[in-house]
Amino acid sequence: MTSTATRPETPGGAPGAPAGPPARPGSESRSGLAGLLDLPAQAVRSVMRSTRSTPGRLTLIAILIVVLSLVTGLVAVFMAQDKKGTINDLIDHREPLAAASQEVYRSLSDADATAASAFLSTGTEPPELRTRYQVDIARAGAALSKAASDSAGAADASSKVDVLTQQLPVYTGLVETARVNNRFGYPVGASYLREASELMRSKLLPASQELYRIDTDRLEAEQDDATGFPWLTTLLVLALIAALVVTQRYLTRRTNRLLNVGLVTATGAVVLMLLWGAVALIVQGILVGDGKEGGTHQVDVLVRARITALQARADETLTLVARGDGSAYEKDFGGLAVQLAGQDHNGGLLAEARGLVSGQSSEQNVQAATQAAGAWLNAHAAVRQLDDSGDYDSAVKTAIDSKTPDASAAAFLRLDDNLEKSINVGRQNFLDDTRGADRVLILLAPGVAVLAIIAAGGATMGIRERLREYR
Amino acid sequence: MTRNRTRLAVMTTALVLLVTGCGSTGNPVDPAPIGAADGPFPAHVGGADAAGADPTPDTCNTKSLPPTNGTSIPSGSNMDKIKQRGKLVVGVDQTTFLFGFRNPTTGDLEGFDIDMAKQIAIALFGTAENRIQFKAIPSSRREAVLQNREVDIVVRTYTVNCARLQKIGFSSVYYVAHQRVLVSKNSPYKGLEDLGGKKVCATSTSTSLKKIATANPKPIPVSVDNWSDCLVMLQQGQVDAVSTDDVILNGMAAQDPTTQIVGEPLTDENYGIGIPKENEDMVRFVNAVLENVRGGVWKQSYNKWLASRLGDANPPPAQYR
Repeated sequence: MTSTATRPETPGGAPGAPAGPPARPGSESRSGLAGLLDLPAQAVRSVMRSTRSTPGRLTLIAILIVVLSLVTGLVAVFMAQDKKGTINDLIDHREPLAAASQEVYRSLSDADATAASAFLSTGTEPPELRTRYQVDIARAGAALSKAASDSAGAADASSKVDVLTQQLPVYTGLVETARVNNRFGYPVGASYLREASELMRSKLLPASQELYRIDTDRLEAEQDDATGFPWLTTLLVLALIAALVVTQRYLTRRTNRLLNVGLVTATGAVVLMLLWGAVALIVQGILVGDGKEGGTHQVDVLVRARITALQARADETLTLVARGDGSAYEKDFGGLAVQLAGQDHNGGLLAEARGLVSGQSSEQNVQAATQAAGAWLNAHAAVRQLDDSGDYDSAVKTAIDSKTPDASAAAFLRLDDNLEKSINVGRQNFLDDTRGADRVLILLAPGVAVLAIIAAGGATMGIRERLREYR
Repeated sequence: MTRNRTRLAVMTTALVLLVTGCGSTGNPVDPAPIGAADGPFPAHVGGADAAGADPTPDTCNTKSLPPTNGTSIPSGSNMDKIKQRGKLVVGVDQTTFLFGFRNPTTGDLEGFDIDMAKQIAIALFGTAENRIQFKAIPSSRREAVLQNREVDIVVRTYTVNCARLQKIGFSSVYYVAHQRVLVSKNSPYKGLEDLGGKKVCATSTSTSLKKIATANPKPIPVSVDNWSDCLVMLQQGQVDAVSTDDVILNGMAAQDPTTQIVGEPLTDENYGIGIPKENEDMVRFVNAVLENVRGGVWKQSYNKWLASRLGDANPPPAQYR
């Protein structure tokens, strides 16, 4: 015996008190604080002592396995809850937010195009254009307050929201000033409209485009986060299985008995935990990934196509509003048209979208959108031909007439409508897949908790059975 | 005794907490930390033109070429080419009320300058109906569209001067305007001389902008694309005055009853019709048309658009080389 002077007794060998630090003898001889500091050292010493006998060692192993089981169970439950929380956050916050900033961007672009169209039409302002403009502004406002509700965490996003909330009322003020002057027959109305459009293009649209990019990036980052590999949990589970296997081999060697029911149950529970977790997480990862590829990514491409089309439409009408002074708008239109449909009306964002939706229910819509884009770009060439040859009135008529199917306005509306429908399909894909991922995880956390308790209980029972043989 | 001591300790602690707590509350958060709001501006607002001092002396002969063949159209002439094409392409303004503007109710271009352009189309085709292609151009591109042959003529409050005559040709003078100043009725300014250090608006590359930049005491010149943009800036309080030809200011005053035209006439602005420099036959043709216009149509158009505010007037006599 090599016990220290302060510890005259050697409780380590006593089978009756195997676990934990023994009762504190002789602590009166020390001051309170020093005794407290000495506690861990005493504990380590007593544990070291106890491992020298088989029952002591078994007890220690039992404690380690129980602690490991409970810690693993706790970590796994937190991991499963965290995944579920992330997925719910995707459905409840991130995706609606990205959709909100997308709606801000879209309705502002549409308001710009619609205000210019309304201005082009002479006499009484067409009520359908006025209504469309009002709906755009109302939707932009509603979506903006939604987007603003969650921009607090991201400084970039909140600075964009600031620009939008400050400048949107200014924009509508300018449009109304333009409208009043226009009704009085004053040409200064045209200057106010140009100023409004300048504000839209130099401040509002860049800010809403940035906001949309930020929110889409945050959505995608969180989707990646939801499919991340749970390293800590995996390591703990594997360590627990290893510990159980090693313990059973040790017991087999010591006792010449092949099976220990308690430990086998514990091992079974942990292996089940591993399999369940692995399957659930793999299926969840695949579903979230599907939601990203078949939903978010697809929606992003379609949204960009739709907004490109809207801005090109605004250029088309503003070229006519400028009446001869619109070469900058026409040049802008050319660039946007190439982005939208490529040089040959068969590429660009629409071709990218066609590739993404092939085989899905929105394939037809994207096909129809491509056809409408072709018709629109041809109609646009006709508008330019008319305007450049001096027939301004026919050019305006062709540009804003929504009745003739292959005229500019009607073809554009068809394009916009089909893109909207395919965007909604993409959003539904996201929701279906991500909701599925959420369902896969529903029972994982409670299941893991129960299995961890079974593992801990099994190990305790199994080892206690062996310990009894030493009495 | 012990209880009293305990109570004392508790009260002291509470007092200390209260005092230290009060000392560091900070200020309430300002929910909208915005001191000043930037108003919107029209597109392409600038300062004085970069060209600086005009290298061309104002001592050249600004008289136009006399008409030779009346309004007859010899084959192979530039007039004949326009006639073959079927359209006269005219560069105009669509933002100057009463002189060249788009009527929002009908969508048509109207005004004194537009009437002049129509007279030339009538001389070419017998009618102006569907024979004119109007191109709205900013004043800064007037020389360029003529040099690039994008238009046949420019009728757009276009002052004849020596610098421009080096690049393009001009018809005889069909209107004489005078540069003056437009201010708010409640402002103290009585003329350009009161506007030293104040912002005064004109369109870029216009003669008015040069005059503002060289005035004494020196105002701050502000340049825009179109004259209406100057009215927008005046209404938004971003400039203190607009200074240009009285006919343009007259159109602005007609759109905004809170403004008035002040000051002595600063210059004589002789408006001519711009024509590509090489097309001398066209210059002579247009001058022949203007001779006829001076006979009657001029007065009709003046009375329709301008007389109610600018008073009675007669066409300026033509001067030829």
